[in-house]
Amino acid sequence: MTVLADALEHLVRGIVDNPDEVRVNLVTTRRGRTLEVHVHPDDLGKVIGRGGRTATALRTVMAGIGGRGVRVDVVDTDR
Amino acid sequence: MSETLQASGADRDVDTDRDGDKASSPAELEELLVREGDIAGDYLERLLDLLDYDGDIDLDVEAGRAVVSIDGGDDLDKLVGRRGEVLEALQELTRLAVQQETGARSRLMLDIAGWRANRRSELADLGRATAEKVLATGKAARLQPMTPFERKVVHDAVAKVGGVHSESEGEEPNRRVVVFKKD
Repeated sequence: MTVLADALEHLVRGIVDNPDEVRVNLVTTRRGRTLEVHVHPDDLGKVIGRGGRTATALRTVMAGIGGRGVRVDVVDTDR
Repeated sequence: MSETLQASGADRDVDTDRDGDKASSPAELEELLVREGDIAGDYLERLLDLLDYDGDIDLDVEAGRAVVSIDGGDDLDKLVGRRGEVLEALQELTRLAVQQETGARSRLMLDIAGWRANRRSELADLGRATAEKVLATGKAARLQPMTPFERKVVHDAVAKVGGVHSESEGEEPNRRVVVFKKD
């Protein structure tokens, strides 16, 4: 599973202004497993993309490499 | 080299927006495209390493765009996906990674496990066969929904058959090619 988190972290780092502030955590809840993507607040728009296009692309790639059933959440917080 | 730097003229559906393009001379454009390939190659190589997938990455410049091809083991099929959907998503992310470094919008093309090359030949056959049927029957033919890449290949194949023309209609992801007989 850490492979998925590492791959996602790499994919996100390449497309943001603040790669060092990218963190991906795998959390397990009753609803299943979720990869939580944390980025610098200024990079949120880049990771989500116009109309959610970039977030969708990230989800599609993760599903392809074996993360089907794993949610990808871009965490919208600057706390 | 200069003839390979011309953007393909029949780019009806894909990538007509080039507002990020800052290169002016052919030499500068060539340099930018080579750099695009290098950045994309690094981004994808690291991904393959993390996933422990076997793959050889080949970089090229064709028809005014950087082309990155990955060939190797069966694992790569996962990066293509059903109807190439994972490939399209990875191409999108790779273009963004390139743009992040160069500051210019990229039209880079990614191919994995020869998927685009194979699909291109299937679609060219489909476009030609459909055009000939429309020519014979006079009735317009509406094809299955396709990606922008797929529609462009079909449009190009139809354009090579005289007496017919094609258009895209509908909204993504249900946009499809329609072939008409000319009056």
